[in-house]
Amino acid sequence: MLRMTNLSKVYRTHMIETHALRGFEIQVNQGEFVTVTGPSGSGKTSFLNIAGLLEEFTSGEYILDGVNVQGMDDNARSRLRNEKLGFIFQGFNLIPDLSLFDNVDVPLRYRGFNARERKERIEDALAKVGLASRMKHFPAELSGGQQQRVAIARALAGSPKLLLADEPTGNLDTQMARGVMELLEEINAAGTTILMVTHDPELAVRTHRNVHIIDGQVSDLVRKGPSLAAGHAAAAAAV
Amino acid sequence: MLGYYFHLGLRSLRRNPALTALMVLTLAVGVAASVSTLTILHMMSGDPIPHKSERLLVPIFDVQPAEGYVPGTPSDEQQLTYIDAMNLLKSGQGTRRTALYGIAPSVEPLRKDIGAFTAPGVAPTRDFFSMFEVPFLHGQPWSEADDARGANVAILGRKVAEKLFGAGSPVGQRINVMGQPFTVVGVAGDWEPNPRYYKLVGSDYFGVREEIFIPLATAVRLEASRNGGMSCSQRAEPGFQGILRSECTWLQFWFETASKDERRALKDWLDSYAAEQRKLGRMKRGSPAELYDVMEWIEHENVVGKDNKLSAWLAFGFLALCLVNTVGLLLAKFSVRASEVGIRRALGASRREIFRQFLTESAVIGLAGGLLGLLLAFGALALIGMQNGEAAAVARMDLTMLAFTFLLSVLAAVLAGLFPTWRASQVTPAIQLKSQ
Repeated sequence: MLRMTNLSKVYRTHMIETHALRGFEIQVNQGEFVTVTGPSGSGKTSFLNIAGLLEEFTSGEYILDGVNVQGMDDNARSRLRNEKLGFIFQGFNLIPDLSLFDNVDVPLRYRGFNARERKERIEDALAKVGLASRMKHFPAELSGGQQQRVAIARALAGSPKLLLADEPTGNLDTQMARGVMELLEEINAAGTTILMVTHDPELAVRTHRNVHIIDGQVSDLVRKGPSLAAGHAAAAAAV
Repeated sequence: MLGYYFHLGLRSLRRNPALTALMVLTLAVGVAASVSTLTILHMMSGDPIPHKSERLLVPIFDVQPAEGYVPGTPSDEQQLTYIDAMNLLKSGQGTRRTALYGIAPSVEPLRKDIGAFTAPGVAPTRDFFSMFEVPFLHGQPWSEADDARGANVAILGRKVAEKLFGAGSPVGQRINVMGQPFTVVGVAGDWEPNPRYYKLVGSDYFGVREEIFIPLATAVRLEASRNGGMSCSQRAEPGFQGILRSECTWLQFWFETASKDERRALKDWLDSYAAEQRKLGRMKRGSPAELYDVMEWIEHENVVGKDNKLSAWLAFGFLALCLVNTVGLLLAKFSVRASEVGIRRALGASRREIFRQFLTESAVIGLAGGLLGLLLAFGALALIGMQNGEAAAVARMDLTMLAFTFLLSVLAAVLAGLFPTWRASQVTPAIQLKSQ
């Protein structure tokens, strides 16, 4: 699903060079649920941004669902992002003056679906996260947990192959966080690959495997038993 | 996607209402100022008879004395002498021809309840009505025989006709003009070409409606006073008859040709006529005859003054100033939406799509500015029109200007939106998303 080989990311100013990632190697297979952990400034977010095609890398190779993304122009990267990826952010990142329906509609508009298909997908996605009855509401009218569910619905509506989650439970209380995590597990069980950055070790142990990053490199790989659905046994980790 | 972006643009009007209102108002004021002045310029410089303006031609001869003349200097004559006007009328050149001068005769109604009044009008020949397409409510132009014998016949303007005879047809009715009994042969409909191209010399250019027409021969026979300019470069014998024999120019002359290609032949004929006149001891400067079509004549007479053109430039300068302000306001409006740009980019919008979205939003602001600008322009034109009749004639918005207002407004907003939109599309999504 995702393979990065000898990848590096260097931020340059006129004074300093900062190596966010160096010799970074990872492979995530179809159907896996992988957590990424590491201390602050270790390169987790840079990795996630590059994986999500939100940032370009300095050198190395990145293959996303069989497509080498190096040298792609902005239009091609945006199309690939829209078709294959879904994003969930710590701060939910909903557009405040759009209703839930219109928020979920955003990625579908860029995909070019017709009105009928968009409506079906939006209703279906909101139903999956238990918010079908509130699609005309605005984000400010929802709790944090509900807002994150809308963000998940938005990420799911386009049927992405890979869901990238950046501390999706970071802004939620324990109960809401549990609910969101269970939802992600359901989504993964249905076949969607998930890559999740988290600081929470409890969440990390619930996934197929945990990738630990220190100083821009993968330092450790924690393999765990098949705590998730048996159907994911095929998901193999490799670095 | 354009429909989606347009919808988002409408929605965005409600976001930051104070900022939006300021932008719309800034654009509207700039658009209203430029549209108002441009409307006046447009009305002043428009072709009053577009389908035949190239076939209606004014001849001019330089009849001034040779003393002190520097060859090649353009003539400042604007009209013809009576001698030349009569010769050209008899020439048979062109398909139609007319000579005319302005009159303001006293009209004495037969009804005792209405007192005598002065009716400004013109004294042309019969062809005038077909050449300049004067509409008729009742009756028709007088006959060639009326022209030839200088008959006491009159065509009234609608308002005068209604004032004297009510709503019915007054054809065949009698009135006294300059103390002589005249028969009404027709009533002209509302005819008010702007500018009044057929008689520009010595009168207002705009907002003039003729109240009476009598044959040129009749006006000359009755020695009707001129209501317009006359230029005399040599001494004339005293009295009206002296003017008729003089080199004073006071008659406006027009030819109509069947096609614009006949202009060259007409010019050649006029030059040969001028050569003949020189043999008779006239037109001693030897300048070639001049020939102007309607638009050339309007330009020659400087109907659209430099002041009007300068006003339009100033108004556009003001619009440019408003645009600079709008750029600043749009930058402020779009900069607070960096997070939305980040979200949209993450969800699959390319920079190009973000550019399209924000440029469409700018255009929506332009549309709103155009609507308000149109209202303000109507108000400004109404105020200008209240000054006098001439101003009222040109301070009118037509469909072309209406469409132009919207186009200008949207174009101005899009232009103002280019830089803020480009800035918005350059937002780095990763930074925005993390900073939420």
